[in-house]
Amino acid sequence: MATTGRIGPLPATQLCRRCQPEQFGFETTDQLEDLDGVLGQVRAVGAIEFGVGIRREGYNLFAMGPAGIGRHTIVRRHLEKQAHGLGTASDWCYVFNFDVPHKPRTLQFPAGQAGAFAQKMERLVEDLRAAIAAAFETDEYRTRREEIEREFDERQEKAIAKIGERAKARGLALLRTPTGFGFAPVRKDKVISPDEWSKLPEQEQKQLEAIISSLQEELEHAIREMPKWRREALGRVRELHRQVTRAAVNSLIEELKAEYRALPQVQDYLASVQADVFDHAELFRHGKDGEAPTLFGIPLPQPESAEPPFRRYAVNVLIEHSGTQDAPIVYEDNPSHDALVGRIEYIAQMGALVTDFTLIKPGALHRANGGYLVLDALRVLTLPFAWEALKRALRSGEIRTQSLGHELSLISTVSLEPEPIPLDVKVVLVGERYHYYLLHAYDPEFAELFKVAVDFEEHMPRHPQSDLAYARTVAAVARREKLRPLDRAGVARVIERLSRDAGDAEKISVSMRALADLLRESDYWAGNAGRAIISGEDVRRAIETQIARADRVKHKLQEHIMRGKLLIDTSGERSGQVNGLAVVELGGFWFGTPHRITARTRLGSGGVVDIDRESELGGPVHSKGVLILSGFLAGRYAVNKPLTVSASLVFEQSYGGVEGDSASSAELYALLSALADTPIRQSFAVTGSVNQHGDIQAIGGVNDKIKGFFDVCRARGLTGGQGVLIPASNVDNLMLSDEVVQAVVEGKFAIYPVRNVDEGIEILTGEPAAAIHARVEQRLSDYAERARVFAVAAPRKPWRARKPPK
Amino acid sequence: MRVRRIVVGLDSRLRTDAALEALAALADEMEADLIGLFVEDVDLLHFAALPFAREVGFPSATRRDLDVARMERSFEAQANELRRACEAVLKSSSVSWSFRVARGSRAEQLLSVATEAAAPTLLVPPGTDPRAEPAIVSQSELTEKSLRELLDNAQRPILILP
Repeated sequence: MATTGRIGPLPATQLCRRCQPEQFGFETTDQLEDLDGVLGQVRAVGAIEFGVGIRREGYNLFAMGPAGIGRHTIVRRHLEKQAHGLGTASDWCYVFNFDVPHKPRTLQFPAGQAGAFAQKMERLVEDLRAAIAAAFETDEYRTRREEIEREFDERQEKAIAKIGERAKARGLALLRTPTGFGFAPVRKDKVISPDEWSKLPEQEQKQLEAIISSLQEELEHAIREMPKWRREALGRVRELHRQVTRAAVNSLIEELKAEYRALPQVQDYLASVQADVFDHAELFRHGKDGEAPTLFGIPLPQPESAEPPFRRYAVNVLIEHSGTQDAPIVYEDNPSHDALVGRIEYIAQMGALVTDFTLIKPGALHRANGGYLVLDALRVLTLPFAWEALKRALRSGEIRTQSLGHELSLISTVSLEPEPIPLDVKVVLVGERYHYYLLHAYDPEFAELFKVAVDFEEHMPRHPQSDLAYARTVAAVARREKLRPLDRAGVARVIERLSRDAGDAEKISVSMRALADLLRESDYWAGNAGRAIISGEDVRRAIETQIARADRVKHKLQEHIMRGKLLIDTSGERSGQVNGLAVVELGGFWFGTPHRITARTRLGSGGVVDIDRESELGGPVHSKGVLILSGFLAGRYAVNKPLTVSASLVFEQSYGGVEGDSASSAELYALLSALADTPIRQSFAVTGSVNQHGDIQAIGGVNDKIKGFFDVCRARGLTGGQGVLIPASNVDNLMLSDEVVQAVVEGKFAIYPVRNVDEGIEILTGEPAAAIHARVEQRLSDYAERARVFAVAAPRKPWRARKPPK
Repeated sequence: MRVRRIVVGLDSRLRTDAALEALAALADEMEADLIGLFVEDVDLLHFAALPFAREVGFPSATRRDLDVARMERSFEAQANELRRACEAVLKSSSVSWSFRVARGSRAEQLLSVATEAAAPTLLVPPGTDPRAEPAIVSQSELTEKSLRELLDNAQRPILILP
């Protein structure tokens, strides 16, 4: 391998931290027990235990971290543990409010008793119907009612007859017309004819007319009194109903009240029912037959003509917790406004929308009341008004069910205002970290309501003990998913793969989704191969096929490089040109690919121009990296003289955006090469960011970047002189693939850990750094001198000429 | 002896379905023809023709002027309403029935219809219970005057024998 610098390539042992199958004492994962606790989530688990344990206002939890690391599972497991000791939550019902019908009232029952109460109320109504109907069939009732009706009739008839008598005494008859009464003079039992009337002396006519007028007044007065008499009679009939039904109603309801002696609220409700039944005893007599009760043929007024008569005594069991001893744990997948706080349904009736307390439906907060509610943060935030509804409920400590239309005053149909239900719930929001931070920054109420942050780790430290712990997790997942057991080599492969996913030899990914996917797919390939145990070979195949399914774009890019469409050199030398490395993420698949970076310099004062930024393809971090180069040049070469250089830098053939500063060291090498006019070996690729002092700094995606350049070199044929310069601080991140490691072992490829620009430029140019710097300095001095000469030779501007003395 | 005819004096008191159904049931049991008679009371027409004729509405207790045309319209409306009520109740029954409107004095017209056939006839004046024990009179002895007395005082059906 041709290297001339002070820094040597890394040994193969540092390129990948293998998981040695021999370290495990088991044959297959069947011999391993499930891991107690959660792998690598000490902080999160501690926060969950604290959050679910503390029963104080505002101590709700926000479980944050990337998807797929098992946030829901871990939270749920801990909630179940906590819920077990917490006791069952109460049952809740809505019942009719006899005082304010549009404000249904609540009833709270010990767990599992609400349904029984609803049934008892149904039975009570049936019993009342039978008992009251029987009471109305008694001779006592019939006779007394008849008495009242006759008395009213007689009173009416008597009043009219009395006036009739008075009329008769004065020679007049009281006549019943189709629509009322009239008075007329009679002769021989017959009404006087108009001819007879006209023959009467005028004096007599006037006299009769005056008498008739007076009688009419009397009759009017008597008729006006009649509605009052009817009201009195109705009142007496109602009182009769009360008296007749009292015994039957009291015995039935008192019996029920005695059963609920311990629940004053229920007793109070039953007392209201009792009073209402007395007032509406007639309903029980006729209710189901649909025949309206009447008095003297006139329908009796009914409280709610549109609703079935006994609906008012129904019990709407909103929430019932029967058959469980634990506090409820509810996960609401669609946390819309209505799904959270419940809804009031409507029924179309004669073209109008009507509702009542039986149409109040529970929401997730009702179901979780007394326990735990788990929600997806993003869904709560994106569904209209759901977040506000959730906060309002938590803030007020009660669930107020109101239709959104009424809440926003969009509709004004008659609706209900159900009595709010006291809320005692622990809410766990599960979301990404940035949701938490954004809410914290922009919603002042958030910090008050979600005081417990549960921050999940993506990675955990990797050491021999953790490898074994991970193996036990692998065993548990395999068992839970009903997969074949893994042998030691299989487990080792899994660990290596997830360590590679973490992008760090000293870490391992704790993404349960990635682990479960890998195990399921390995199980599939083991089944295909007819194996009863998942081997290392099956895991390898699963990984390869995972990559193969996702790497079309990567192959396309490589194909363009091989066909010379994308210009990447892997041999030869050239000034002002270096291979940079970039990582691309598409659909969750990360891969690295080389990019040609070029630099051109000339005399000028424009500093370093980033063409990508100028063309608006470069992101701010990339631009920052380029600006740092100007700082490096000025600090290193032009402390005491002007920096009279204009340089341009570009990611060649980059048609998408460029972001990140991991190419800034490559850009600096290209710049130095251009200024020193010293060629750079194209067999190398470079990654790493640089600071103003020329120190090379760590970057991300180092394994993918190396692999990207390795694949191109391998496709063209490994020469032994090819390699990648990486920041020395990234060495412990190396988890390179087997083929890269093998190529290094065989001396066909090399990885150089670089600490500063000097080390890098020596490897890339094969010359001592001091020589390169001297040439750069010389070039910049030449530029400065030429600039000075240009400045002196340039004609003085007229406006700058000194004015002659007067 | 079998009652062949039931003559019912109709007025607003007989407008309810229950009262008409009770009459239909009685006619069915007796296998008798049911004749509903609405009398346009001539006394009321005379009364309406008087220059000072006014009525006190019931139950509105308001005074209104009357004239013959208005009274006739009231009779017609009342007769139509009673006819409709009879049809609604009786058309589905097997009872043979008819509805008549006559003008004259109430006693005179009831007597005329009740005695037009030489057959036992049950006369049910308005507002009386058809199943109450009837007053029994001979057709030959029954005059308008005696009938008026019975109508005013008895408040029960009258069985007229030929």
